[in-house]
Amino acid sequence: MKFVGTDLSITEIAEALPMLGVAWEGYHDGEFSVEVFPNRPDMLSVEGLARAFSSFIGIRLGLRKFEVEPPADKVTRVEKKISPIRPYIGMAVILDFPMQENALLSMMQLQEKLHITHCRRRRKASIGIYDLDTIGFPITYTTKPADFKFRPLEWDSKITLRDILLKHPKGIEYAHILKGLDRYPILLDNNGTVLSMPPIINSEDTKVTLNTTNLLIDVTGTHLKTVLEVLNIVTSNIAERGGRIGAVRILYPDKELVTPDMNPRSLALNIRYARKLLGINLTVKDIEMYLKKMGYEVKSSGKRDEVEVLVPCYRTDIMHQIDLVEDIAIAYGYSNFEPELPSISTIGEEDDIEKFSHVLRDLMVGFNMQEVITFYLSNEKKLFRWMEVPVEPLVKTSNPKTEEYTVLRTWLLPSLMEVLSRNQHNEYPQRIFEVDDVVILDEKTDTGARTERKLAAALCHAETGFHEIKGLVESFLKNIGIKGYRFEELEKGCFITGRAAKVLVEQDEIGYFGEIHPKVLENWGLKMPVSAMEFSVDKIYKHVKEI
Amino acid sequence: MEGDIKIRLHRLERLILKALLEMGDSTTFEIAQKIGVKKDAIEVASLWAAEKGLVTIRTETHMLAELTKEGWDTLNDGLPERKLQRILEKGPIQISKLKKGLERFDIAIGWARRRGWIKIKDDSVQLTEKGLNEISIELPEEQIIKNAAAAPVSVTKENKHAIDELVRRKILRLHIEKKKILSLTEKGREVATRVGVSAEVSKLTPELIVTGKWRDVVLTPYDISVKPPTIYPGKKHFMRQVIDYIRRIWLEMGFKEMKGPILDIAFWVFDALYQPQDHPARDLADTFYAETPSHGELPSPEIVEAVRRTHEDGWTTGSTGWGYKWDENEARKCVLRTHTTSLSARTLAKLRDDVKNGNIPAKYFSVGRVFRNETLTWKNLAEFYQTDGIVVGNVNFRHLLGYLKEFYNKLGIRKCRFRPAYFPYTEMSVEIEVFDERKGVWVELGGAGIFRPEVVKPLLGKDIPVLAWGPGLERTVMNRYNIEDIRILYMNDLEILRSARLWIG
Repeated sequence: MKFVGTDLSITEIAEALPMLGVAWEGYHDGEFSVEVFPNRPDMLSVEGLARAFSSFIGIRLGLRKFEVEPPADKVTRVEKKISPIRPYIGMAVILDFPMQENALLSMMQLQEKLHITHCRRRRKASIGIYDLDTIGFPITYTTKPADFKFRPLEWDSKITLRDILLKHPKGIEYAHILKGLDRYPILLDNNGTVLSMPPIINSEDTKVTLNTTNLLIDVTGTHLKTVLEVLNIVTSNIAERGGRIGAVRILYPDKELVTPDMNPRSLALNIRYARKLLGINLTVKDIEMYLKKMGYEVKSSGKRDEVEVLVPCYRTDIMHQIDLVEDIAIAYGYSNFEPELPSISTIGEEDDIEKFSHVLRDLMVGFNMQEVITFYLSNEKKLFRWMEVPVEPLVKTSNPKTEEYTVLRTWLLPSLMEVLSRNQHNEYPQRIFEVDDVVILDEKTDTGARTERKLAAALCHAETGFHEIKGLVESFLKNIGIKGYRFEELEKGCFITGRAAKVLVEQDEIGYFGEIHPKVLENWGLKMPVSAMEFSVDKIYKHVKEI
Repeated sequence: MEGDIKIRLHRLERLILKALLEMGDSTTFEIAQKIGVKKDAIEVASLWAAEKGLVTIRTETHMLAELTKEGWDTLNDGLPERKLQRILEKGPIQISKLKKGLERFDIAIGWARRRGWIKIKDDSVQLTEKGLNEISIELPEEQIIKNAAAAPVSVTKENKHAIDELVRRKILRLHIEKKKILSLTEKGREVATRVGVSAEVSKLTPELIVTGKWRDVVLTPYDISVKPPTIYPGKKHFMRQVIDYIRRIWLEMGFKEMKGPILDIAFWVFDALYQPQDHPARDLADTFYAETPSHGELPSPEIVEAVRRTHEDGWTTGSTGWGYKWDENEARKCVLRTHTTSLSARTLAKLRDDVKNGNIPAKYFSVGRVFRNETLTWKNLAEFYQTDGIVVGNVNFRHLLGYLKEFYNKLGIRKCRFRPAYFPYTEMSVEIEVFDERKGVWVELGGAGIFRPEVVKPLLGKDIPVLAWGPGLERTVMNRYNIEDIRILYMNDLEILRSARLWIG
C-alpha cells in the first residue's frame, strides 16, 4: 500500500478494489491477487494498480503528468528490410531509476502479463528492457541471417539465431511468430552489440541487474498503435517508482518519430449524454470530481453541455466518450445507483416452436417418461457407427479439444442410447425422452446449416418391444391431433428388420419408431431391450397448424 | 368409545380377547395353540392389549423336566431293569451270560433288585414273583418319560419323587420356564363381548364391493411404517424446469423471444459485437470453428460496411475504432456460437426499419445453448445455457440495474451486488455477483451492460441506448442445489433426475 499512500485494512481493500473494476481473487501471506480485465493493461503491475486505486479512493486525484526529456543524441535507425517482418518500434529511457529487487520483479511481471494480453502473446508487440549504460547510440533495428550469433539471456555462450529458435526455451515457445523467415529481427547498438532478438529474447550483454540505474525500453511489433500504447504503459508504470523519462528519436525509412509521446489525449464529453445514459442528475462539478477520481483532468471546452477531458497516455481503452461515462459510473460507485424498472409496456411473445415444445414435453411427462438434456456436440462413432447406420454429411468442428466433440448431432436417438448405456446401475423400467435441437447442413441458409427441433423417446426394460412403442406413437399422434397418418415398413440399421416403421402424413415422413437392433444394444453395452421413436417437431407442428 | 376401541384393536388383540372369554385365564402358549399363530406374536399382541387395559399379564415360574439324550434312548429301549425283567421272563440265566448279553448290566441288576423284581441264586438270576406280576404294569417313571417326549413335563407334588429319580439317572434334566398367563380385565371382558372377529381380508376386491360382502369382513389393518415400492414420476429435467421458469419471467415482463442459429458466422458472434478479429476469445483454443460448413454469408453490404468501418476507424460512431484492417473472410467463418448475444446482434439488425419508423421501444429475450472449446472438468463444460435480453429505447444504466435486480429477485436471489466488469461490446459493463454464505466470497452470476455505440449504430443505424445481458444459468442452479461439479447437471443420471426436487422458483 506504499504506492497508494494509505493504510487500508485488507477487508477494506477487498471490498473497495472490485468496485474499481477488478475481480478479487484472494489474500495470502501479505499478498493479494486480483484479476485485471483486458481493457485495463495499465493495471497489470502493482504500480499501475496502485496508481488507479489511490485516485479511486481520493488520495491522488487527477491526471499524472509525465515530463519527457528530449532525445538529444538518442537515435534509433529502422532499416528497410525489417519492415515486411516486424516494422514498428518505439523506445524510451528512464534515467536515475531507484533500482531495487521489488522493482526488478515488478518490471518482469509487467512485461510477462502485457505479452500475454495486450501484445497477443508477443505477436502484435513485444517488450525489451535493457541497462542503458551498456548500450551506445545510435541503435539499429535490422535483420540478421539465421547463422548470426549472440549470447541470449540464460545461456552460457553465443549461439546462432537458428539455434535460439530450436534450443532456447523462449525460442521454442515463440518460434512460430518468425516461421518461414530466413532473416530475423535484431536490435544492435553502435558497437554491434546485440540488444535483443525481438520478439524472442534479449542478450545477456545488455541485461538489467540490481546495479542498473538507467533503463532503455523498446517495444517492437506489427501494429504501431499497440506498440506505442504498450511503450506508454511500460514507461509510465516503471516511472511510478521514480527516475526521469527520456525520449528516443526513431528514424524510419520514410518518417521520423520521437517516442514516447506521454502527453494526455483530449476527448470531448457531452454532459447531457452522460446524464442521460447514467440516469442520474450530475452537475459539471460532480462529473469533474468523478473523472479526477479516475485519473483524468477536466477542462472547459468552451461549448455548452460539453467538457474537454484529458486522458492519461496509459489509458489505451478509451475509444469513445462512453468509456468516460463508464468511468464516471465507477467513480460514482455502482452500488450507489438506485435500480429502477422503466415503464416500457411491451407484449411478451414466445417462439411458436418453443411453445409447441412445452406442449410436447408435457405430453411425454404424462406418459410417465423422464426428460433428459444431452449435448449437441457428438462424434461420428456415436451418431452413426454405433447406431449401425451410414455416415451422413454434417457440421464438423475443425479444432475440437476432445475427440468426443467433433460434430453437431443430426438426430436424437444416439443421445438417448448414451443415457441408457450410462444408467444401467439404475432401476428399470427406464423411460426417457428429449425434445431439443439438432443441426442439419442446409445450403439455403446464411450459415450453411439449419437448426431443427426433434423429439425422441426410448423405453428400456425386459418386456419392451415394437408393440409397446407403437402404442406410445399412436397415442402420441392422437393426442397432438395428427390425423390421416399411416405407417410404412422401415429398413434402418438401428432397428430390427420387420420391427420398425416410419410415420407419414401424405408423403411427408414425420418420424419413425421401432425395436432397437441387438447389435446396436451390444455397441452401446446395453443388456436390456430398447424400443424407441424419433419425430421432427418442426414437421409435426406444420401439420398440426394445417388442421 | 366402542368405535374407538375397535379401530385401535389389532386383529390379534381381538382374537386374544375372544379366546380368553372362551377359555378363561390362559397362557400365551395355550392361546397361541388355539388361534393357530406363533406364541411370540401372541405375546407382542397381548402387551398391546395390556397397555390398553384390556388384559392383565401374570408371569408364573415353572420347573419343567425334559428328556436328555439318554432319556430319548430309554424311550425307545425301555428302562434297563425293564429289559432285564423281560429277558428273565423265560427263566433264570447265568450271571456270566447276562453280563455279555445286556448293556448296562450293573444298572439293570441294581434297579431290578431295588424294585424287588429279581433274586440271585447260585450264579444265576431269576425273577421274583413280584417281578413276574409287574411285567406289564407301567411304572410312574415310564409314564413321565412318555409325557416328556411329547412336551416338557411340569414338576408337581405327585410326580416330584419320580422325576427326581429320573434326573438322578440322567434320563431327565430340569429347567425353569416362565409362563405368561393372561386374564381379562373388567374392561377387557366388556370389549371382548362386543368385538367382532369376522373373516379378515387384506385386499378389497371388486367382488367384495359389488357383492356388498365388504360389510361382513374386516379389512386387515396394515403396518403403515412398511416401505412401499418406489414410485418415479414422469418429470422434466431439473435444468428444463429452471429454463421454463426463466422464460416465464421474461414473458411476464413483456419480452419477445429471439431465436437463431446454433452454428453461426463469426460476424454475428464477434464482429457485430465489436470484438476485434485478433481478440483472444476468437482463438481456436476457446471457440469451436466449423470445418464443414466453413464459411457463411454476410448480411447486407450496408451493415457489413458499417461494421468494417467501425472496427477500422470508428466510422460515424464517435469512436477511434480498433485501428486495424478488418478482414471480411474472418467474419464469414462458421463458429458454434460462444454466446447467445449473437441473437441480440441479429435482432438489432432486424430492428433497423422499426427504428426508422419509430416502432421502438422493444424488449427481447432468448434462452439457448452456447459452446466453448473446453475439455470437461468439474467447473467447465463445452456446452451450457445462457439467457440474453435486450431493451431498446429511452433507457439508462439505472434501468439496466432495475431489470437485473428484478430478474434475480424472481430467481430468489436477494443478496447480490453489481460490480464493474469488462466485455468488448458493453460500456457500462456489469458483473452480477451473489454472496456465497458458506464460502464467504462473492460468486459471479452473469454479465450485463449497455451496448457500445460501436455495436448499436452499425446494426440499428442509429445510436440508441440498448440494455443487454447474457448470464449463464448453470451457476444459479448449482448454487441452489448445492452442486459443486458442473458435469452433474447434464450427466442424466436417472437416480438424480428422478429424485431431484422440483424447481418451485
